[in-house]
Amino acid sequence: MAPLKSLEQEYPILDSNFQSFCASHDIFSVEDLLLHDLYVLAAFAEQESSSERLKQGIAQVLSIIDGQHQPWLNGIELLEDAQRNKHVLSTGCEGIDLLLHGGLRVGQLTELVGPSSSGKTQVCLLAASNVAKKHIGSVVYLDTGNSFSPQRVTQFICQHSDPAIDQAKHRTLQKVMNNISCKSVFDIFTMFDVLHQLEFNLRSQMQGGDCKVQLLIVDSVSSMVTPILGGSGSQGHALMISAGYLLKKLAHEHNIAVLVTNHTVGGDGGISKPALGESWKSIPHVRLLLSCDHGGSICNVSILKHPSMVESFASLFTMCAIDLSLSLSLSVRPFYKLFLLHMVFLFLFTLFNFFSSGCW
Amino acid sequence: MEVGRLPISASQRSKLIAAGYTTLSSFSSLSPSHLARDLKISDNEAAEIMRVASHSHRLDGSAGGCGTVNGAQTAWDMLHEEEMFPRITTSCEDLDNILGGGINCKEVTEIGGVPGIGKTQLGIQLAINVQIPVDYGGLGGKAIYIDTEGSFMVERALQIAEACIEDMSECGGLLRKDSQACQLKMHPNNILENIFYFRVCSYTEQIALINYLDKFISEHKDVKIVIVDSVTFHFRQDFDDMALRTRLLSGMALKLMKLAKDFSLAVVLLNQVTTKYIDGSFQLTLALGDSWSHSCTNRVILYWNGNERYAYIDKSPSLRSASAPYSVTSKGIRNSASNCKRIKMM
Repeated sequence: MAPLKSLEQEYPILDSNFQSFCASHDIFSVEDLLLHDLYVLAAFAEQESSSERLKQGIAQVLSIIDGQHQPWLNGIELLEDAQRNKHVLSTGCEGIDLLLHGGLRVGQLTELVGPSSSGKTQVCLLAASNVAKKHIGSVVYLDTGNSFSPQRVTQFICQHSDPAIDQAKHRTLQKVMNNISCKSVFDIFTMFDVLHQLEFNLRSQMQGGDCKVQLLIVDSVSSMVTPILGGSGSQGHALMISAGYLLKKLAHEHNIAVLVTNHTVGGDGGISKPALGESWKSIPHVRLLLSCDHGGSICNVSILKHPSMVESFASLFTMCAIDLSLSLSLSVRPFYKLFLLHMVFLFLFTLFNFFSSGCW
Repeated sequence: MEVGRLPISASQRSKLIAAGYTTLSSFSSLSPSHLARDLKISDNEAAEIMRVASHSHRLDGSAGGCGTVNGAQTAWDMLHEEEMFPRITTSCEDLDNILGGGINCKEVTEIGGVPGIGKTQLGIQLAINVQIPVDYGGLGGKAIYIDTEGSFMVERALQIAEACIEDMSECGGLLRKDSQACQLKMHPNNILENIFYFRVCSYTEQIALINYLDKFISEHKDVKIVIVDSVTFHFRQDFDDMALRTRLLSGMALKLMKLAKDFSLAVVLLNQVTTKYIDGSFQLTLALGDSWSHSCTNRVILYWNGNERYAYIDKSPSLRSASAPYSVTSKGIRNSASNCKRIKMM
């Protein structure tokens, strides 16, 4: 925290008298004040001539410190907040919605991981057009690879509407497309600036309304972090973690769902794993793995991490020209099939034993 | 910590944090000399840090639109902007059809294939086609050709340029039989003059050149395509530190994306292939690994199918996966001469 003398401008009570008093006790910054025994300091302040002002100064510094952290909440308040604010945004693809029990949850950071051309950008575009179309709110799309395609978004929006009335459709299309704003960011510092600006804007117009931001998409966060990760210093690592925390803070405080994409790298034994390493693994709330058949149009989504579900369910969806439609329903992984089979055999065996012993 | 997001060097940042300045407001009111004394750095460095901090601080306070960020465009505006930029034709109708008209500006397209499939030919063809005048449906721009392998042949470029002019005058003759004003004044030498050729011999030269392209293109504003042939060549051999290679490549990819977006030009990267062990068999994939495969907007793979050359769209945000045949003739890239002209949709 800042040295005490730099706080003087904002809080005139921390004047030079206060500073020299603190300096006499070896306190030069707010950190030093925290480490010091406050009762002892107050006792010393009593003995000084301007004891009232000094005690007010100490109280002021303590209130500055208090203002730095989030307010304490109890369970009831958290539950009310979750029920009132943290609803679920449909992604527009039934398969993914089914998998996520509704869709993207507001207040959580969802990550899409997958190899190249597995459909990550398509899911992002579909989610953006769906949220904008259902007038749920506006969408902010941060694009690092020039992959935001307005034509594709138009296709997604116009797929279900009546092709008859052209003029009205044109106007609704314009209204919906105006809800999606897209910015190209090409390095992590620009992204920090954009996110801080967004935070400032959201904080200053808390009343909501029609243009309230509901969905923030960053496509992709890995291409911004990879040039700085690794190497000699840990600066890149620190930037990546602070970016993750900033996204989660935005999501929680301003009731936004955040969707980011990540790519895969080769891991041990040739199995691909998500990029950005072990530290990034704990940052997203929900991690989904996308994979696509080579040359096919069937894509597979599975859960890698979820706060309330087991990572065993997978869902298949087809990517075609118009939309991402559900092709097959939930398929249980083979391990569970084997387990079920095993239980059935065990049951039959015990039955057999029972009857054979009963006959005796 | 707020100072973590300032674009300053790591040593300056650690000195700031060690002196107790962790938020921007804590030192924004200080004078540069005061800061210099606290951090034990020169006055110039301190002034630089204050300038960067005040810039960030100013960005925070400026009001955007309703909940949007500064500099963001709405999707509606982008849709109309897209229609304004014509695409660069490849002179092969089938290929243009699957590409939605041609190579798109503002995007990075990666074209990869086995040796001898025609990547350099396609690169030279694009460098010439970008110069087609606006009257004939082209962009009328110049081209930058970055050659890393030494495979650019000037005689071949001259040949393709002459064929292109012939085609244009034929078209012009058919469409505008009467007007003299539209008579083609282009000479093959003019076309060759508008191709800026750079030869790079090592990866440091390549990275330095891409950093310099920003300045070069601001001076030559009518450059509309940058072709790198091939982008992987210098990164495949003699690289001991793979992590460094990944960082350099992703940094280079971001810079190329930024170039494409800021100057509204097309970037075409030609890539080589390598074999990869997937699902129990060896398959051909593009070189430079998984991280590089995310660094392009579109990807086209060229391959042999029997005796025919085919192009396949592997990755695109808005185009359907499809493949189309093409051929390399003495005039450049042209339609395949086979009987079956239907595009095979995947």
